[in-house]
Amino acid sequence: MIDVNAYLGHFAFRRLRHNTAESLLALMDAKKIDKAVVSSVSAITYRNAQAGNEEVAAETSGHRDRLIPFAVINPFYAGWQDDLKICHEDFGMTGLHLYPKWHNYSFSSPCCRELINAATERGMVISIPIRVEDNRERSWLLNIPDIPLEEIVELVKAFPKSRFLLLNGLDYVRSPLGRKNNGLPSNYAVELSRLSAVLANELGQLITNLGADRMMFGTGMPFNYPDPALIKLDVLDASEPDKEKIRSQNAAAWLRL
Amino acid sequence: MTISQKTASSPESQPRISRRTLLKGSAAVALGAAALSSVRGMAGEQSASSTSSTPPVKGKVIDCHAHLNHHSRPTWEADDRKLIEAADKLGIDQLCCSTLTSHWPATLDGFRECNQWTAEGMRRFSGRVLGYCYVNPGYGREALEEIRRYVGDHGFMGVKLYNEYNCTEPVVFPIVELTIELGIPILHHASHSHYFVEDQPRLTDSGNLAELARRYPEAMLICAHFSGGGDWEWTIKAARHAPNLMLDTSGSVTDDGSVDLAVAVVGADRVVFGCDSSMTAGVGKIRGAELSIQDKAKILGGNMIRLLRRRKS
Repeated sequence: MIDVNAYLGHFAFRRLRHNTAESLLALMDAKKIDKAVVSSVSAITYRNAQAGNEEVAAETSGHRDRLIPFAVINPFYAGWQDDLKICHEDFGMTGLHLYPKWHNYSFSSPCCRELINAATERGMVISIPIRVEDNRERSWLLNIPDIPLEEIVELVKAFPKSRFLLLNGLDYVRSPLGRKNNGLPSNYAVELSRLSAVLANELGQLITNLGADRMMFGTGMPFNYPDPALIKLDVLDASEPDKEKIRSQNAAAWLRL
Repeated sequence: MTISQKTASSPESQPRISRRTLLKGSAAVALGAAALSSVRGMAGEQSASSTSSTPPVKGKVIDCHAHLNHHSRPTWEADDRKLIEAADKLGIDQLCCSTLTSHWPATLDGFRECNQWTAEGMRRFSGRVLGYCYVNPGYGREALEEIRRYVGDHGFMGVKLYNEYNCTEPVVFPIVELTIELGIPILHHASHSHYFVEDQPRLTDSGNLAELARRYPEAMLICAHFSGGGDWEWTIKAARHAPNLMLDTSGSVTDDGSVDLAVAVVGADRVVFGCDSSMTAGVGKIRGAELSIQDKAKILGGNMIRLLRRRKS
């Protein structure tokens, strides 16, 4: 089982448990999760995101068989090109997270386009959390909206050679992203942590519309309890080969494991 | 469409979560994987390997916060059925349901037809669906008569209040007094955000409910979806000193530690399991919480059974 949506470090607005490599690995053991893609929570609110990447690189060293570090890059911050190079070449980070709403830029800005092109040239996966936490929980200090799916539609069209992993999203079926024969490049995959697996069963609908090859398992831990995501796979009415793709095979292929 | 394909498959072939599995994970993180294998015997399932240290837990799993679909929805009947099928898959024995109006504030005719539909749902899914009587307190005498009728004649188990009024407004007090007389709980829609919620100007939060609980210490109040969107740490802390206020775990937010904090602050006796249609989230939060089997059993059904037994008629 590979979790493509996990984190290490501190969140500015809520205490997190299981946010060190050691404690996260213990949680993964308890939940039978073999590997997890991890990135820095702290880098979401640090001005200099690279400090968070350095923390994650240090925290995961010695655990690279199970923890797969991703960078957080803010393309509007000085030296991001150096940071990307260090994260990829020195820290062995094979992907990165983008937080355009938290870092206050747009996907269409030249800096962001330059970053996406640079990451794509390096073969890095570009993860995009649609949200960090439910907006209704927000602090009195700030109001960070979810990324509208319309912006993702334009993004995947603009960078057909890039590989985008969409995290913490839902309602894809109401957007072109989740529709069959949508005319979009198949350069994006969808992580399941917020998708329903019963009632509306968006997960099942996306498997039908996009194919099981485009879905990946993720929990959002330690922000989230991992169990809701695990239960989705348990109750999902899908073939075992499809479930195996979602559990690990798709992520392994994307991450070249 | 995928959904219809799913509902067409036979119940036997559908993947399910057993009641035992629902509790699996209890204390697992703190104790390590070995704890998982010792978690046995759940909700009446007697396990051969149960030990005195992990006694089998008997009792139903009751979703304290569920909804049947408004009949203006073309697929309401199939959607109601899907709710029961989801409950089957997830090991939920009973669902405490209300039907809400499609527009707010609810009109008299609006909540009357909703309660009629809930009563029909109780008959369609006999033994699975328990009914909350939904009223708008602004209708005064008619609202009270509606509650008496549906509790007395149709066996409804409680009252559901939404956001027409803040619970501290005097118009709500006669409803509370009637529920004390009948010995039934009130499930009150609630949330606390650090901004004004424009589309719910009279939104109740747990602090308001705690105030109401102190005014009426005999009332049985349930604060809906304490982590269902809003600052759940605030919600839990504001509820602390109101012993007759319960916290319902339902809602789509699955923040790690939320159920654990609720139990730490108000005690396991005051936390009740719910989904509010976020089914895997609801079940997953309880499975993931680092609590004893005994505490989980209370949350999953024991506490709700205790409330339901206080009914006076």
